[in-house]
Amino acid sequence: MKKLSVLLAAIVLIWDIGLAAELEYFQVYKPKDGMSVDEIMQIEYFVKYTKFAHDVNMGGKAYFIDKSGSTREKETARLRITLGRKSDDIAYKDLVIFTTPQVRGLGTLTWTYMDPKKQQDSWLWVPSLKKIRKISNANADDSFLGSDFTIDDILTRRFEDETYTLIGTENFKGYNCEYDKKTYFKDAPCFVIECKPKKSPWYYSKRILWVDKNTGGGIYEEMYDPLGRMFKTLFKDYEIIKVNGKDYPAQILLEGKDLRTGHRTVIINTDIKFDTGLSEDLFTERALTQTRW
Amino acid sequence: MKKLVLLLLLCLLTGLAYADEKFQFNGYIKNELGLRTRDQNYLQKNKDIVQLAGQYNIKDDELVFFAKVKYYYDFAYEKDKLDKAGHYMEHIQRAEWLRDLYLDYNNGPWFLRLGKQQVAWGQADGITILDRVNPVDLREFWLPDMVDIRIPLWMLNINYAPKLDSNLQFLIVPDFEESQVAPIGAPFTVRAYTIFDNTMKAIPGSTWDINQHFPGTRLDHSTYGLQWSDRIADTDYTLNFLYGHYSNARNTTIQTGLHFQVDRDYKLWRVYGGSFNKTFTNPGPMQGFTLRGDFAWYNDEPTYFGDPNIGKTYGFARWDNKFWLIGVDKYIVTKWLLSFQYAQYIMEHRLAENNSFASYQQIPMNAYTYGAQDPVENIFAIKISTDFLNQRIKPELSWSFTDDAQGKVSPKVNYEISDNLLFTLGWHYFYGKPSESNGQFNHQSQVYTQLKYSF
Repeated sequence: MKKLSVLLAAIVLIWDIGLAAELEYFQVYKPKDGMSVDEIMQIEYFVKYTKFAHDVNMGGKAYFIDKSGSTREKETARLRITLGRKSDDIAYKDLVIFTTPQVRGLGTLTWTYMDPKKQQDSWLWVPSLKKIRKISNANADDSFLGSDFTIDDILTRRFEDETYTLIGTENFKGYNCEYDKKTYFKDAPCFVIECKPKKSPWYYSKRILWVDKNTGGGIYEEMYDPLGRMFKTLFKDYEIIKVNGKDYPAQILLEGKDLRTGHRTVIINTDIKFDTGLSEDLFTERALTQTRW
Repeated sequence: MKKLVLLLLLCLLTGLAYADEKFQFNGYIKNELGLRTRDQNYLQKNKDIVQLAGQYNIKDDELVFFAKVKYYYDFAYEKDKLDKAGHYMEHIQRAEWLRDLYLDYNNGPWFLRLGKQQVAWGQADGITILDRVNPVDLREFWLPDMVDIRIPLWMLNINYAPKLDSNLQFLIVPDFEESQVAPIGAPFTVRAYTIFDNTMKAIPGSTWDINQHFPGTRLDHSTYGLQWSDRIADTDYTLNFLYGHYSNARNTTIQTGLHFQVDRDYKLWRVYGGSFNKTFTNPGPMQGFTLRGDFAWYNDEPTYFGDPNIGKTYGFARWDNKFWLIGVDKYIVTKWLLSFQYAQYIMEHRLAENNSFASYQQIPMNAYTYGAQDPVENIFAIKISTDFLNQRIKPELSWSFTDDAQGKVSPKVNYEISDNLLFTLGWHYFYGKPSESNGQFNHQSQVYTQLKYSF
């Protein structure tokens, strides 16, 4: 029986790896009816991490809004280059530079590897030291830059980290965004998927995720704590941007709500440009040291 | 007059920023209060600081001009009020106001930064092992941020990347500034300076002729630096070399009757070293740990010797000393980052040649305290930091100490009042014997606040 379990586990692992290798970088995929739930989720992660594009260049604004309505704002300039390079296992590299006066010049360089078990490499340019510090990865359940999204939500969660069950398909009821009072994705056809983390105990027991059939993006999710109580909702507005005749799904607006504290985070991506031919030289320590502020 | 110039500059920058998107600017206004908490309580500082920085992209990112100016006024040291230091203000501002002024040229593998700037080498936090290109301003000891401690220098900073993730940096520094210490009577006047000043005053009728021998601003008097950076097996490393004048003067005193001639020389020395950092990213017990380290071999470092029992130097020797550090960083539980550093400063510790001093008069001495310098100094630092309320509140505790029962404990908390307004409350607690680096300020423990408005 034990041998059978090991064999099954090995088959599952090989199957996982096989699936992960199926999607080729720099292609545009859309989920379709009849696909397995794993195939749909592979596409969702592919879209989330913009693996369809060679590079992305965008501005970003994050609003931190507490229960009383008090709002703080952070601005960033963000660059990503997608590599999907087997020789050094690098999936993509990110450069984020803060442009908000209080932390202007603070920058992070992050390399994400293709091996899902491997953590990221991160470097931080600290203006008050005027030098680079290699930084340890924060825990996956830590807040991402003080927002209501975790590191896991934004950066580290991979397809291989969860198991999936297709609950069904439905037209999304629509998301009423508190930030701009608009209703998004009303009646958009979606797959509804239950995602359970393989890690246990973990800070959530499951996510119920709505994946938009048109963009492949996970547009809305409800997160449940280990006791089964919903504690957070996350919304992502995806829009199609035409690039060289291809339809690239781009994250435009994100709204995360912590139902326990009433705190909200809104992230707005602006001036999104895909495939502008960014050089990998921009994603090096040397480039980070050129930060002037 | 300076204030008026700064105000005009601010107006000009604002105008330019709106007029041309190639121009960006940034700055802050800050107040720093420091209250002594030992013995007699008094205001150690009441500083108002204004800093302005501007960047102009002459040709996209290929050619960029950058400048940063800073001015401050410390009301605690106004003359006829709490002035314990005479010409404190003008002394302080001399090396202070122009923080950056350079032109960047970036083209393919080449990157040149030409002008007044800081260059920071190494991985150590708060300890300058390889970080020796710029002199340091210790008028508030090591309490300010390193960006404010380093004294910028005019230099050519030439970089060439022969391959991805590597870099060869060559520095030519024709400029020279000596490292600064606080003048007599200031809260953080080093003990060595006080002893020297007391010696001068203690000999009635004596005359003192103090001659500074600054290196000339000539190419052959320049400082030269070389750094090779690369990455092997997920580990970043550098190899470093620095050749130039030591930024602290070494005194030679010649006595003729009651006349003393003190020659202050800045000796040539060399630094050979390297640094590394590595984050363990692969699964396993070390995953999530970041290791970093510096190593330096100081060739011909001018080191005082003398009798620490009476705080008297008899000369200096040119020794080959070693300084190395290893640091570990790790998030221990959610949001709590722990950093630990261990460093050793190993002195050559041989008797100076060609002199007739007794061995007890040839003890290596700490140049800042005139206390005995151990042949091997063990230095430790621990820092723990976290955040609350979506990073609105950021507490931090740092503790640095040596094996001589001396050190500094510094808790602080940052509170982000609004996007532009940051409040800091902290405490620096010094302990140890007066002949030790931190212990010399064991009566200067300080509660401080900072209120910073950024724009």
